[in-house]
Amino acid sequence: MSVLRGAAGWVAVALCVVPLAVAVLGPFLPYDARAGLPYSSEGLLGTDGLGRDVLGLLLVGGRTALGMAFGAVVMAYLVGGLVGLTAASTRHRWLDEAMMRPLDVLLPLPSLLVISVVAVGWQASAPAITVAVAMVNVPTVARLVRAAALDAASGPVVEALRMQRESWFTIQLGYVGRSVLGPVAADLGTRITLAVFLVASVNFLGLGLSPTAPDWAVSVSRNREGLLLQPWSVLAPALLLVSFTLGFNLLADRLVHRSRRLVGSPA
Amino acid sequence: MRSYAVQRAGLAVVQLAVLSVLVFVLTSLLPGDAAEMRFTETLTPSQVAALRAELGLDQPPAERFVHWLGNVLTGDLGTSLISGGPVADIVRDSIGATLVLTLTTLAVVVPLAVALGIVMGTRENGGLDRAITSVTLALSAIPDFVIAVVLVAVFALKLGWLPATWVGGDLLASPALLILPVGVLLGRTVCLLSRQVRAGTVAALNAEYVTQARRLGVPRRQLLLRHVLPNAAVPGVQELARTGDTLLGGVLVVEAIFAIPGFATALVDGVETRDVPTVQGLTLVLAVAALLINLGADLVCNRLVPRTEALR
Repeated sequence: MSVLRGAAGWVAVALCVVPLAVAVLGPFLPYDARAGLPYSSEGLLGTDGLGRDVLGLLLVGGRTALGMAFGAVVMAYLVGGLVGLTAASTRHRWLDEAMMRPLDVLLPLPSLLVISVVAVGWQASAPAITVAVAMVNVPTVARLVRAAALDAASGPVVEALRMQRESWFTIQLGYVGRSVLGPVAADLGTRITLAVFLVASVNFLGLGLSPTAPDWAVSVSRNREGLLLQPWSVLAPALLLVSFTLGFNLLADRLVHRSRRLVGSPA
Repeated sequence: MRSYAVQRAGLAVVQLAVLSVLVFVLTSLLPGDAAEMRFTETLTPSQVAALRAELGLDQPPAERFVHWLGNVLTGDLGTSLISGGPVADIVRDSIGATLVLTLTTLAVVVPLAVALGIVMGTRENGGLDRAITSVTLALSAIPDFVIAVVLVAVFALKLGWLPATWVGGDLLASPALLILPVGVLLGRTVCLLSRQVRAGTVAALNAEYVTQARRLGVPRRQLLLRHVLPNAAVPGVQELARTGDTLLGGVLVVEAIFAIPGFATALVDGVETRDVPTVQGLTLVLAVAALLINLGADLVCNRLVPRTEALR
């Protein structure tokens, strides 16, 4: 993996892995979180505004902060990727239009608007917010996949495969789908960061999870008045979030540069 | 050129129509209607039914949509369930602060980002380019609310140089109040925008027409301003339209943190109190604004570089 070449690559990986590890393994660690007075310095990182142990909250709060974003991106790719692939490979122009045009309409909608509308109906529901974030991402994913697949899907290889009577699935997933992987990998980096951002903003604003949830963004929001009393109650969850988005951004940036070099187009 | 503008405007009209249906469907068919939401705790079922009839919620959805759309087209956005006043009033009262915030930010962001982008692009891979690129890359990875919380803690609470929250009065009359919010909004938008301008500048500088112009002896200054900038501006303008999205998210966060009574505060309040007509009205106004911004951006791009095909 030439993405990792050099110290900067490993720093980026470390920045990503630490919050990921906390989010994934945290809930299983046998950590004994004891309650205390609000904003006291008991325990390793003190307590938050409700007197709960900050470290204990951190260990369970990553699941929603990162999990919702990952879930949304996976969902967006399942739906958008399928739409994009089908639109690119169909020989019927009307089908392409019928699939892509409605998405053009959705494209300029501000993402937080869609989410606030969903939040009115399904308050404090993590699945609903995840689906909403996925919905917001579907049009751009579909466009990206379609654009990336278009060249491969209309090229001579697919024609040859068709003449050999290969099945639709073999052609689409085996050949066209594979040629899309490069652009998709580059896109994933920025998309996941943006999804984490969006989920965090939604939760910070109180449009998503309940205000007492251990989620990192909710913690930053809830404890911000206590920043000077017990800095870790705000800084620790904020640092984990920033570390993840920063690391992922750096990795994505390196990936984009690398794929450009491979293609040989001027960066 | 004209036919492109007509086509693009046509798309905007269709978008507008679909949008109004979407907003209505999403907000009206939510689980449990407004009458239930607000009053189940205090009212008997028969009273809820009466209230529902009064609000017109017992009509079939299609009929309600036509009624709602007719009202919207005449400027009546409905009545807030919480305040009992017209939603149009809420829009009018809250739009000022948001406009001041957004326009001030844009007035700083655009020149700053274009300047930074050109500085970076003309020194591709030089020391200055690398330095600015790393800083913008890092800054754009920090969520707005983290920047805001930290800035407030340092400059308002610790040092006491700037006010931490809005306390009433006109935003324009007290510029000190705008410094922190605009500073927060600047962060990510400048980063995103300047990187696009940089990429555009680099691509334009490497293009054959620039080599040709250089060979013909076009002065450097004229080369940059007349030939490179219009081409470099295209990704910038498109990004600016997309920045609208980032900016709106930022404005929501900033208004919440600094307690500025703007559009976003009204929207979040509406969501929290499940005031469906208010959310409907505010969403519609914001979505229309987003559509118009996108339309404008595409038309400007087409004007700058007529070969650009924003329409597939």
